[in-house]
Amino acid sequence: MISVNNVFKYFGDLKVLNGVSCEIEKGERIVIIGPSGSGKSTLLRCMNLLEQPTYGEVWLNSQLLTPPDPYLHFDVIKKSKTFTLLLEQLRAENSSLSEEELEQMAIMKIKAEDLLKKHEGKEYKKSLKEITVKYGIDINLARQNMGMVFQHFNLFNNLTVIDNLTLAPVQLGLKTKEEAEKTAMELLKRINLEDKRDEYPSKLSGGQKQRIAIVRALAMSPDVMLFDEPTSALDPEMVGEVLDLIKELANEGMTMVIVTHEMGFAKEVGTRVLFMDGGVIAEEGTPEEIFDNPKNPRTVQFLKAVL
Amino acid sequence: MNFFSKIFELFSTEKYMEIIFEGFKTTLIISVFAAILGLLIGTVVALVSISEDSPVTRVLKAICKVYITIIRGTPMALQLFIMAYVIFTIRGFPEEITAIIAFGINSGAYVAENIRGGILSVDIGQTEAGRALGLSSRVTMFKIVIPQAIKNVIPAIGNELIALIKETSIVSMIGMFDLTMAAKIIGSGNNMASYVVPMSVVALFYLAIVYLLTFAIKRIEKRLRASDKR
Repeated sequence: MISVNNVFKYFGDLKVLNGVSCEIEKGERIVIIGPSGSGKSTLLRCMNLLEQPTYGEVWLNSQLLTPPDPYLHFDVIKKSKTFTLLLEQLRAENSSLSEEELEQMAIMKIKAEDLLKKHEGKEYKKSLKEITVKYGIDINLARQNMGMVFQHFNLFNNLTVIDNLTLAPVQLGLKTKEEAEKTAMELLKRINLEDKRDEYPSKLSGGQKQRIAIVRALAMSPDVMLFDEPTSALDPEMVGEVLDLIKELANEGMTMVIVTHEMGFAKEVGTRVLFMDGGVIAEEGTPEEIFDNPKNPRTVQFLKAVL
Repeated sequence: MNFFSKIFELFSTEKYMEIIFEGFKTTLIISVFAAILGLLIGTVVALVSISEDSPVTRVLKAICKVYITIIRGTPMALQLFIMAYVIFTIRGFPEEITAIIAFGINSGAYVAENIRGGILSVDIGQTEAGRALGLSSRVTMFKIVIPQAIKNVIPAIGNELIALIKETSIVSMIGMFDLTMAAKIIGSGNNMASYVVPMSVVALFYLAIVYLLTFAIKRIEKRLRASDKR
């Protein structure tokens, strides 16, 4: 469903993600854990392009969300001026090698040393554009299928609860106002907050806000839900109600990616755990493998510190 | 008692009252239309300066930056002189329009900075939540960010309007006849031969306008803050 392909993310000199790849299948519940600053949230935010990856590609249902990354496409590299020049140079230096081996060498060298420049000629530009036309999708359209829940809830402060839930479906023309309100009321009933329909977010508790933020995402009927530390900003007594709602969704078979510090919850709800450290996935496996029998020393160290 | 009898004289002499109201009218006309023009210019400039980067907006942004720098960096009186003696030099061109344009352009630069600051002060999470739902940046801006920014901006805009009203008093420097000029004429030797009385009265007029405006802004603020109450 979501495919993250060799993603790097740099904020200036700060390298947050250093080549992350992962596949998320329908029905999976991926939990991402790791020390702070390891790039968990950034990876999640790259999935719906709230952060634009510096290199690499993100795919959703075989559609490309990011601009194509030339380093992931051999045929594009081959059309570049750099490749042509390098190939000539290599050919002169190693006359004993076959043409195929030379091409391989050139591609490897270009990839390893990040040699592609901005202007690589018309052919190169054209082949990049072909990929975009063939696989690219408007990011706003793609995001409609990916619900996101934030650490700080981010309910729209200028709108009442009901308007928070209906704004996007109505604005995007997916539902009429009446239909959207009907769905919204059903969702509010589900979380027992139908009496809050006309309140503004400032009057709600943290737990209520986060549950409403979750159903706001659900109102778009997304294929996948992304949770970015959904309980980190909550008072301890409100963590339970939010986790219960997420567990409920999990039991219904919703595909989700969850960044969390709640290890018990991670173990219970996840089908696969990714342990991130230093901007890469240091270890991944089933919750049992990661929590009961971690292999990577960093994982061992981290779990010892948090459990 | 001399002061109070002079005040009575001023209010009971038709000629003096006519002069005051004539000046009052000019001050009001310039203030109101310059404020409208300033708000329009300010909004447009603010929206341009926070728009996403593209080749077109980059040029527009540069223009807006130059505009704000020049207007905020030079005296209002000089801008007014340039408008009156360099740009609109046609004989018979209405002075009011010259003044409205000069003050509107001046006010626009300050309003633009206020609005820009107001928009930037809205938590980035609000924008992210809108975009994550699939809303375009335009819809997110107009449905979520700007309604919240307005609340933050109203007090600053109010200050700017008050400053604008009082600053219109310099139009007498290009020979226009406004409320301040009215006080000077009434006080001159040909008329009452006393400045203190007409100037105090005119001061009350300015105070009254500013007070009314402050009151209106407070009301608007209160209404807009309804969603913030806990």
